[in-house]
Amino acid sequence: MFSEQAAPMAQGLLAPPSAEPSTFPRVPVLGYLDCSQPFQLGERSFSRQYAHIYAVRLAGMRPGLERCARSQWGNDIVLRKLSELQAGEKCCVVGTLFKAMQLQPSILQEISEEHNLVPQPPLPKYIQPSDELILEDELQRIKLEGAIDVQRLVTGAILAVYGSEQDDGRFLVEDHCFANLPPPLPWNGPSSDRFVLLASGLGLGSVSGEALLSTQLLVDVVTGQLGAEGEQSCAAHIIRVILAGNLLSQNTQSRDTINKAKYLTKKTQAASVEAVKMLDEILLQLCMSVPVDVMPGEFDPTNYTLPQQPLHRCMLPLASAYTTLRLVTNPYQANLDGVRFLGTSGQNISDIFKYSSMDNYLEILEWTLQAGHISPTAPDTLGCYPFYKSDPFILTECPHVYFCGNAPHFESKLLQGKEGQRVLLVTVPDFSATQTACLVNLRDLTCQPITFSGFEADNED
Amino acid sequence: LFPFWWLTLVSLCRMLYDYVERKRKENSGAQLHVTYLVAGNVLQNGYVCHKVAVVREDKLEAMKSKLSTITSVHVYSIQKALLKDSSPLYNTDYDIVKSNLQHCSKFSAIHCAAAVPRTPPDAPRAPTQNPQSQRDPSAASVVNGHGPPAAKAPLQQQRGIMGMFAAKAASKPQDTPKETKAEAKEAPGVSTTSSKPSIKNNIMNNFFGKAAMNKLKANSVPEQPKEEKEVVKPSVAVAEPESSPNIVAEKPGKKTESARIQQKDKRSKMKRVDRSDDEEERDPENVKKKRKRIKQLQSDSSDEEADVPPSPTPEEERAPSPPPVPALKTELEPASTEGSAGGRKRKRKRVLKSKMFIDEEEGCMGKTG
Repeated sequence: MFSEQAAPMAQGLLAPPSAEPSTFPRVPVLGYLDCSQPFQLGERSFSRQYAHIYAVRLAGMRPGLERCARSQWGNDIVLRKLSELQAGEKCCVVGTLFKAMQLQPSILQEISEEHNLVPQPPLPKYIQPSDELILEDELQRIKLEGAIDVQRLVTGAILAVYGSEQDDGRFLVEDHCFANLPPPLPWNGPSSDRFVLLASGLGLGSVSGEALLSTQLLVDVVTGQLGAEGEQSCAAHIIRVILAGNLLSQNTQSRDTINKAKYLTKKTQAASVEAVKMLDEILLQLCMSVPVDVMPGEFDPTNYTLPQQPLHRCMLPLASAYTTLRLVTNPYQANLDGVRFLGTSGQNISDIFKYSSMDNYLEILEWTLQAGHISPTAPDTLGCYPFYKSDPFILTECPHVYFCGNAPHFESKLLQGKEGQRVLLVTVPDFSATQTACLVNLRDLTCQPITFSGFEADNED
Repeated sequence: LFPFWWLTLVSLCRMLYDYVERKRKENSGAQLHVTYLVAGNVLQNGYVCHKVAVVREDKLEAMKSKLSTITSVHVYSIQKALLKDSSPLYNTDYDIVKSNLQHCSKFSAIHCAAAVPRTPPDAPRAPTQNPQSQRDPSAASVVNGHGPPAAKAPLQQQRGIMGMFAAKAASKPQDTPKETKAEAKEAPGVSTTSSKPSIKNNIMNNFFGKAAMNKLKANSVPEQPKEEKEVVKPSVAVAEPESSPNIVAEKPGKKTESARIQQKDKRSKMKRVDRSDDEEERDPENVKKKRKRIKQLQSDSSDEEADVPPSPTPEEERAPSPPPVPALKTELEPASTEGSAGGRKRKRKRVLKSKMFIDEEEGCMGKTG
């Protein structure tokens, strides 16, 4: 655990000044490799339709799914495409799920004049008992019913169903399976305690300043400006900080400039400007002491569609002077000291949350790993770049640490796979709401939350 | 007393504690309220959560009893009055941190060998090349790793250093009238004009001519003004040192501004308006680097780093820059050798005209676009 060995020296600073205290060198990063090239977009063209991404997704995941199907239901099962189905024959079909939802926001419905609909307000969940699941493959689609949880699944997931076609044209599902955990990566983790701090949702630029002291405490603890000697030596073992999105608060997203007349907004500054300056100062303090990876999030000044491109270094003039600052994509993948990290800023998980009955972010995170795809709902309900050659969100290798940012609270779980995979699932909480960050120990893949509080915590007692 | 940077956190905490103890023993009557930092482990929601909290003295014992293991307790701050909430703590801390931004690492107990500033040739070219590994503590090897471009850049910088600064600073007086519009400052400017720089690159290419074109490596914009300057106006660099003794209490950055103003006069109006957007984006990042170099060249005695904090706030500097600029103009007139008489008029005109450009710009864009 972080700083357990610091306990004996806890009260050391409640004493008069003594001999020259020691400084601790930060444990250097032995191996760092940025593996997020698939998420970096170069030349972008939006003239393509989104159908191609589904086609490559199915083509990419089909072999793995067929393998899983055979291992689950036997080697002798019949694999059919939808166009080859024969009524009554038990077979296995691989395809893309589509969930027909009545409440799903549809722009066509909104602008349609014959319906005269008022655009519906955003709901926390769009699921309804009347939702239906449809399986699509390259050519056809068929309605699914039977042993399949309609509420739980979401559009875009690739799965294999085992069953038979009924007379009424529906497919009766007896069993279904997903791609399951991707093949494991070899473990080259460190042998001594090394920590990575995961934080997200700093929420700078918000109206309330309550979390600012906690943010400053976070920076101070990581940079070694707070805590007794034991704690500081433990903080020196933090080899990296990963900020998983939403560095700016939602409040900085004011769209006054669009709604108001130009003469009113001419002299106003975007709220994000001040927030980015504050971010720059905070990052500068961190960068002078520890390598930092900054991922953009939903409210950060970068593109909206996944994969989000890194923040531009011109916005962070002070901090980007240091080589320890790395501006990275969302999703982000990297090898840290032999441990593979993969994570997002949370948009993929929160989108699945809206369209599924699953309530728990950790459960959804685990489900995406089992389904073999980081963000199945993109591009249906989550903005996504129209890929056509390959889908970079398909999980081809099993990461050691799989995280998502901006979750409502902290949760973590060590998942063991059938082929020897060991994955630490972490839902990184929103710092502006919970003042909690996560410390991942690379040696044994454990995770510990770390909370910072000012006086407010006392008042709650 | 102590030199500033010898104070480390640990000795500071102990000193604070010592002070508190002594004051209380003296029983001087003045009440001191102490805030403590407590850190420890506590079982929460099934996880062993590490908690770091700032607590008032009266709540200290309560907090300590909540924690199953205590990892550190020390004095966080001392006040005369009882604090109702933590905002004064944060505000004071923020002010101090902000004014000492570059020195932060000196106070901390953890020293990171990998945290070195990028060398100037690296910084402008970072978007076009992979950022080098942060593990590498020696910046020199990073520069060498880039090969010929890196070797060339320092040379160019040496030669064109004055001109380069001139180009940057000249955009500043112009930025001030633009500022009254409160248009995008650096940050939004970057995000909204991401496509514009590429277009402007082409305009600049066409204007600067073949000499500059040949030298362009990866078409990174910051390099262009650098190279262009050394091609076009090496003589201004000569004028520069002559003028420096005349100006007594000016920052080196401001000195170069006047040279750059003359520089800029040579270029077209449209050029300036186009480039200003680029300059704004590149300014905050590169000005810091360029300022550092200028100081080394002129062996200024002021602390390098002390000048850096002002650069993150270039807006504030732009405001004072027009007042010194008119002062500089008159002083430089006798000293500068080239374009002086016309230069003054042009300077005055330019500052005023830039306002018109902004209105004209939209007109021009409307016509052509």
